[in-house]
Amino acid sequence: MHKIDLVDQGLFNPGHAACPGCQESLALRAILNTIGPNAVAVFPPSCGAVICGPHPYSSLGIPVFQTTLESAAAAASGLRRALNQRGRHDATVVCFAGDGGTYDIGFQALSSAVERNEEILYVCFDNEGYMNTGAQKSSSTPLHAHTASTPGGKPTRKKDIIGILAAHGIPYVATAATGYMNDLTAKVRKAMGLRGTRFLNVLVPCLDGWGLPDDSGIAMSRLAVECGAWPLYEVEDGERYTLNRAAKTAPVDAYLAAQKRYRHLDDRQLAEVQAAVDRQWAQLTARAAASAEADAA
Amino acid sequence: MSATHPLAETHPLADLQLLSGNHAVAWGARLARPQVIPVYPITPQSPIMEKLGDFHAAGEIDAEVLTPESEHSAMAACIAASLAGARVFTATASQGLLLMHELLHYAAGGRAPIVMCNVNRTVASPWAFWPDATDSLAQRDTGWIQLYSETPQESLDSIIQAFRVAEQVALPAMVCHDAFYVSHAMEPVAVPDQALVDGYLPPYRPEHFVEPGRAESFGYVIDQATFNRTRRDLDAAMVQAVDAVAAADDAWRELTGRGYGLVERYRLDDADTAIVTMGSMAGTARVAVDALRAAGLRVGLLKVRLFRPFPLAAVRAALAGIGRAVVLDRNYSPGVGGILHQELKAALFGLEGRAPAVHGLLAGVGGVNVTPAKIHQFVADCAGREPQPQSLWVE
Amino acid sequence: MNTATSPLWSNGSTAVIHTGTWRSATPGYNELPSPCHQACPVGGSIARWIGQLRDGDPFGAWLTLVENNPFPAIAGRICHHPCEAACNRAELDEAVSICRLERAVGDRALAAGWRFPEVTARRDQRIAVIGGGPAGLSVAYQLRRRGYGVTLFEAQPALGGLLRYGIPPYRLADAIVDGEIARILDLGVEARTGQAIDAAAFARLRREFDAVYVATGAARSKRLPGLDYDQTWVIDGARYLAETNAGGRPQTGQRLVVIGGGSAALDVARTARRHGRDVTVLALEAEGQLPAQRDEVVEGLEEGLTLVAGAMLQSVTAHADGSLTLHCTRVEFVPGAARGEFTVTPVADSAFELAADAIVPSIGQEADLTPFAGSGPLLAVDGDFRCDLGNVWAGGDVASMERFVTAAVGMGKSAAAAIDRALNPERAAHFEAEPDAVPYAAINTHYHPPRARAATPRRAPAERIDNFDEVQLALAADAALAEAERCFSCGSCIYCDNCYLYCPDMAVSKLPDGYAIRTEYCKGCGLCVKECPTGAIQMRSGK
Repeated sequence: MHKIDLVDQGLFNPGHAACPGCQESLALRAILNTIGPNAVAVFPPSCGAVICGPHPYSSLGIPVFQTTLESAAAAASGLRRALNQRGRHDATVVCFAGDGGTYDIGFQALSSAVERNEEILYVCFDNEGYMNTGAQKSSSTPLHAHTASTPGGKPTRKKDIIGILAAHGIPYVATAATGYMNDLTAKVRKAMGLRGTRFLNVLVPCLDGWGLPDDSGIAMSRLAVECGAWPLYEVEDGERYTLNRAAKTAPVDAYLAAQKRYRHLDDRQLAEVQAAVDRQWAQLTARAAASAEADAA
Repeated sequence: MSATHPLAETHPLADLQLLSGNHAVAWGARLARPQVIPVYPITPQSPIMEKLGDFHAAGEIDAEVLTPESEHSAMAACIAASLAGARVFTATASQGLLLMHELLHYAAGGRAPIVMCNVNRTVASPWAFWPDATDSLAQRDTGWIQLYSETPQESLDSIIQAFRVAEQVALPAMVCHDAFYVSHAMEPVAVPDQALVDGYLPPYRPEHFVEPGRAESFGYVIDQATFNRTRRDLDAAMVQAVDAVAAADDAWRELTGRGYGLVERYRLDDADTAIVTMGSMAGTARVAVDALRAAGLRVGLLKVRLFRPFPLAAVRAALAGIGRAVVLDRNYSPGVGGILHQELKAALFGLEGRAPAVHGLLAGVGGVNVTPAKIHQFVADCAGREPQPQSLWVE
Repeated sequence: MNTATSPLWSNGSTAVIHTGTWRSATPGYNELPSPCHQACPVGGSIARWIGQLRDGDPFGAWLTLVENNPFPAIAGRICHHPCEAACNRAELDEAVSICRLERAVGDRALAAGWRFPEVTARRDQRIAVIGGGPAGLSVAYQLRRRGYGVTLFEAQPALGGLLRYGIPPYRLADAIVDGEIARILDLGVEARTGQAIDAAAFARLRREFDAVYVATGAARSKRLPGLDYDQTWVIDGARYLAETNAGGRPQTGQRLVVIGGGSAALDVARTARRHGRDVTVLALEAEGQLPAQRDEVVEGLEEGLTLVAGAMLQSVTAHADGSLTLHCTRVEFVPGAARGEFTVTPVADSAFELAADAIVPSIGQEADLTPFAGSGPLLAVDGDFRCDLGNVWAGGDVASMERFVTAAVGMGKSAAAAIDRALNPERAAHFEAEPDAVPYAAINTHYHPPRARAATPRRAPAERIDNFDEVQLALAADAALAEAERCFSCGSCIYCDNCYLYCPDMAVSKLPDGYAIRTEYCKGCGLCVKECPTGAIQMRSGK
């Protein structure tokens, strides 16, 4: 029987302000309860920051430090160093940032922290836009998706954050999704066992931002994975690729059709989206195969 | 310069080191036992952090040194580290300070007692590297305590005092000194013993901090009433800071023989004219005052050391009854003029009948050299005219 | 603690904020019927016992099974399994092999010697059951469990009815029948075999017992109109089977034509194959319409039957050498509204001939209502299976055209409840209409990866054609477990923790025996309902 590999230690409290069915809050629940109580979290402005509070209440069972939108990774670095100075090398410093605070305004500080291989677990909750401020585009928004700032559809592709961070050579970079919960918790556990900077990009279908029913978050994340729009994979030490699902098993059509942000797509645009997914999938498959060969050799 | 350095009276030469202002700051910071030091270079501050880096590499300081990619990230790291209970130091200048601006507010609002040295340098546009205090004065609304230092020795001593004050009132503090005139000029500096500084500066023990196992978090959104309350609390801390700076300085003087006050009154007792200025200009003005006095003019100097919180009482007491004040601003705020000029006029408001006529001179903006002779000239010119509400450009 | 000591430091918990005020729909846990349960003639709790089997509790599974059906080993071999036709799994890949799983539980019980729980209730009333076939045994079992005294009268030397005397052993071994009947007798049912009940005995039973249940079945063969049953070359199918059961091999010519398309016709035909005969089955129905179970047809064809479907006998020419020519025509068979009703239309110019040595009509049975003075063809009963004869109830083939063993078992079970209510009115049943069964759409199939249905192992045709050993073999233990895992458990909570762990608001609490919604926090998003693999949670409008 399917069993979710998660024990709830009570590290995420009810009563938080997330939208009904919010996948970010579900991911937070899973990740916090996997990391355990010996941790502090850093949040920049984001849906996550709102979900934390409001003052004087916290929804997290670990202490939280909220910083400015550009500086999640920088603040986490300072926090890490202070904890080390105070003898808490064992404590986990985890960043929970949105794609805006990771791919865009927070990218500079992230690249720096990653280049320094700071002992941080960085989790990006990727809902492919600035959802907290009304669903504007970020560089994580995929090709042709409608957002408040690209109403006709985004003319450029999604930034390959995994590729960029893998190029920094850090020990662990991976994607995850709440629809594959055991894969997500396994990756968190794996990351917890490594040193240096570990980056996890978690797909968070945004119900309000993407135009989805409240109960569809998990199903949507599965559609994303299954059609290859959100491949599940890991890159270790910047070069060893592992595909966690060997094949993509559906075209993008059903996934796109379920979301209001793709409602306007014509056939040409749909073909371009499929082509972009196919291209990325082919690259990943080749890299994973090359890694497997290298491992065998 | 006098024939013997003032320090020679109390310190044998052997206990003195020839240090630039920047290196003196590095020593002050080292002695304060910082725990986290984010480093980002910018001319003319880099020697501070490089010196600290050398200390660290030699194992002479036990601190976490981190090298983020920008000053914004450096200050973000400072705040997080400080609010995690670590003593934090950093340094910057000019563009770097400006880039930190958002976070300077964040630090003060968060009551993080960070100590930073800012080397006063012109701000772009256009590009330049010269002494000018507009950079830090433009941060006067951020909630940081600001001290302006005249000499390398003062910079070293002020850094140490700043930690004590900052941690007492829970506000960040910056010690500012002018590019090149103080940052790079070298002079004999008495470097105190670590034991002395340890006695003066106890370990940092905040009431609130982020740490696993402590059920408290920082930075959550608050409502209007609570925000208002935080500002009142900050205001109370600023009020408290005035006395705290004075007390810290007194205590330091007791220990070392060196004290600087919130303001310094030099030959002001029977003066009819007070030159009012900050930073290295005070050193030049000091020489000008001696020359003016030698020429029979009753001119003195009010050096403003503490700029934020503005030492209202000390300034009013120092200038009450003096007929004329000539403010020398090596800074410029577009649309209003010299910043010390404006602040002084506001500070003197209501000093009925006893307030000096205030002349505001934009002297040395952009790093233009101001000699004692020039200051002599400026003072003489002011004697011959009515004070203007606006600051005047002088050359 | 929720009074902050500082306006900058938050030390409380959001748990004081009751986000339950947000919702406009609320989830609730309601076990719903599964479609297999609603299709099952005995109303079995199928999802529950398969779940118990899956969880490694075969004894629990057996106890659940025998609540409704005391014959799992029998039913697991010969039930027509309407549950499988209704199974939601069929929409994903293939229906769960429920029947074979029931056999697995039943066989395990027999091997382990499991006994029914002891009867602890005690009732003073006594019921007479006439007929020891599936209906009679079922009602006897259910009444005895309730504490009644039960005496069962059976005309034949042994109990079982069609189970023993109709269904051949290669489908249902005698030992299985013996074992499952013995358990019922062990409960304290008094059985008197070799006692036929005539009208006088019936009247006496009605006086002496508090209730009588008639389950005499339909033992009289229907006659094919126009066929001379006095001819030596005509042997009625039931007689053929009875002679075989008695240990004989009926004397016939080599080539038999069995007329009929139901299980009984297939039973006869395959029995005759085992006697070495060449057998043709001639049925009115097209192959896809045959009332016999598909398995029986397939196995029969493997055993060398020839099937002539969609055709009827019009006349017979008997030749001097004893052989026969059967004059037949193709027909179109259209089933009627009620079971047993149909219309047959000969197809023009489709006449053909079959050569044979004997004709074995096997076209169905009729009830003999003589002792009951009934006007036939069936003993009339109301919705409670009660006859218009005082304290008499009836069920099985004597009262219904539903000629299925498990239907008879189900009727016995219902009648027992009705008799119980009638004799003890203070135990009036509260009838709650059962909600609709869980539809396929309510099952989240992500949690049920496609997997092929376990195939029923069979002995090779060559190995079975000359003996009466059981053709179908049991599922191997691991195959049974794997098959049990294919069950969706429609409408039953399987304690998978999905609802509990997929709630972003921690609004589901886990209890020792299930889950509960924390209504003070639940925002009504519906994720729990969507991710429930069994449809055991439903949303309702409102707070």
